[in-house]
Amino acid sequence: MSSSAVFAGNAGVNEIPTFPLRVVDGLALPPDYRKALRPGEDWKDTNGHPRQLPRYFYEVPSWDTAMKIELSTHFLLWEFIQVDVREAPPLRTFPRYVPCAITLLAVCLERFREAVGTLVHISANGGYRSPSHRFSKDATPHAWGTAANIYRIGDTYLDNRSAIERFSLIARETLPGIWTRPYGAPIGYAEDHLHLDLGYVLSVPRDVTS
Amino acid sequence: MTKKETKAAARQRTLRHEIERIEKESGAQAIAVALHDLETGFEVHYHADRWFHAASTIKVPILLGVFAAIDRGELLPHSRVHVRNRFLSVVEGIPFRVESGRDSNSAVHNAIGKMMRVDELAYHMITTSSNLATNLLLGVIGPVAVNDALRELDVQDGIELRRGVEDELAFEKGINNLVTADGLLRILVMLAEGKAFSPALSRRMMDILHGQEFNQGIPARLPKGARVAHKTGEISTVAHDAGVVYLPKRKPYALVILTEWDPAASGRSRTIAAISHTIYESLTHGHESLTQGYESLTQSLPDE
Repeated sequence: MSSSAVFAGNAGVNEIPTFPLRVVDGLALPPDYRKALRPGEDWKDTNGHPRQLPRYFYEVPSWDTAMKIELSTHFLLWEFIQVDVREAPPLRTFPRYVPCAITLLAVCLERFREAVGTLVHISANGGYRSPSHRFSKDATPHAWGTAANIYRIGDTYLDNRSAIERFSLIARETLPGIWTRPYGAPIGYAEDHLHLDLGYVLSVPRDVTS
Repeated sequence: MTKKETKAAARQRTLRHEIERIEKESGAQAIAVALHDLETGFEVHYHADRWFHAASTIKVPILLGVFAAIDRGELLPHSRVHVRNRFLSVVEGIPFRVESGRDSNSAVHNAIGKMMRVDELAYHMITTSSNLATNLLLGVIGPVAVNDALRELDVQDGIELRRGVEDELAFEKGINNLVTADGLLRILVMLAEGKAFSPALSRRMMDILHGQEFNQGIPARLPKGARVAHKTGEISTVAHDAGVVYLPKRKPYALVILTEWDPAASGRSRTIAAISHTIYESLTHGHESLTQGYESLTQSLPDE
């Protein structure tokens, strides 16, 4: 998919990207991917506000690659792209595409991990999932690659009010501007994981020229 | 009436009489039995159209629904499913969880937050009757798809799938999954004949049913050479077993035994094993051998 690569040409030494994944323009992807990813489209959130979906994605060529790439010291790429059978079929096989803002989320989670002092586990379907995922009803930051559902921290399962609220407080104290879903059963709440997100952040790498 | 028909009719009468006697001596509130011998075509239907709470026997129709999705290409056996212990009751959509202490299978609970393959979940749903696996699979395919699959295969009669398992709010409202012995028998015969979607998919389902780990019912008093692909089901008021019995040098027979009890009653597995043994004796040695009493039939079997 070299035609979709949008790196600037003739980069100097200091401008050579060190991140090993290729950036692709979602609008240049084949139709079945565009239909599933809806790059650059507006999508309404629960309050009816239109939110622009990401246009630029990192291309993940294989699961093996995802298992090796460190987005931060303690978070590998695969942890952010575990989706189950509810994801749109083209996005369940490789190459996979993940919004460029995923790197920002990883940095935030790294800082959160430092604060809690132990392993932070992102659940399946709890990292990036596309707007075509069966869980995606209204615009959710998961489709921006800026949200994580954490089901376990160390040996603590986040399936009760005490654990969720305790770690939610730590997240909010540690990460300025982070949003966490309140504990509870209704829609918009969470009772079996800690949802945290950075909002509808769009990331456009410097290399992008289009 | 031909001589062969006369013999079959006599065998049916004897078997029905024996089942009736076991029922009376066991103290069960109700018993239903459905039998189809693929070797001879011999059948017995004892209260086989009576509805019972399905308990975990409903997992057989759900297995059929999962394989219908596989047959349609919507799922692959290795498709991955997020293991999450949160489900919505059919009563007002109120969330509930499957208590790990009430589920005999820890493998699925241990995978919470991660993913398991469809075929792994199907295996756990049947072999150790994992309620968590059952609700996860039902969450992926949906009850409507299961009922559609039953209709497509023309085995919908005698099966009422209304909800997932462990939905206590639904149970309190009397919204339960129901089965008849004949309903389950039709599914088992179809599986045994290799007619559920394809011979290959039928065989895969039978392989899963062969992995059953709860063997105190139909298999308990069968000879060692017998293999039984089956599914049990038990709650406080019912105990069931439904399966296909494979014996050396003959075609198998499908057998469903449904029983209903006072919650304080004992002897459930013994009763199912006794009926299973009676049927085995009748099919392999003729009805003349059925002269022993219920006590001797149930001897040496541990009570549950």
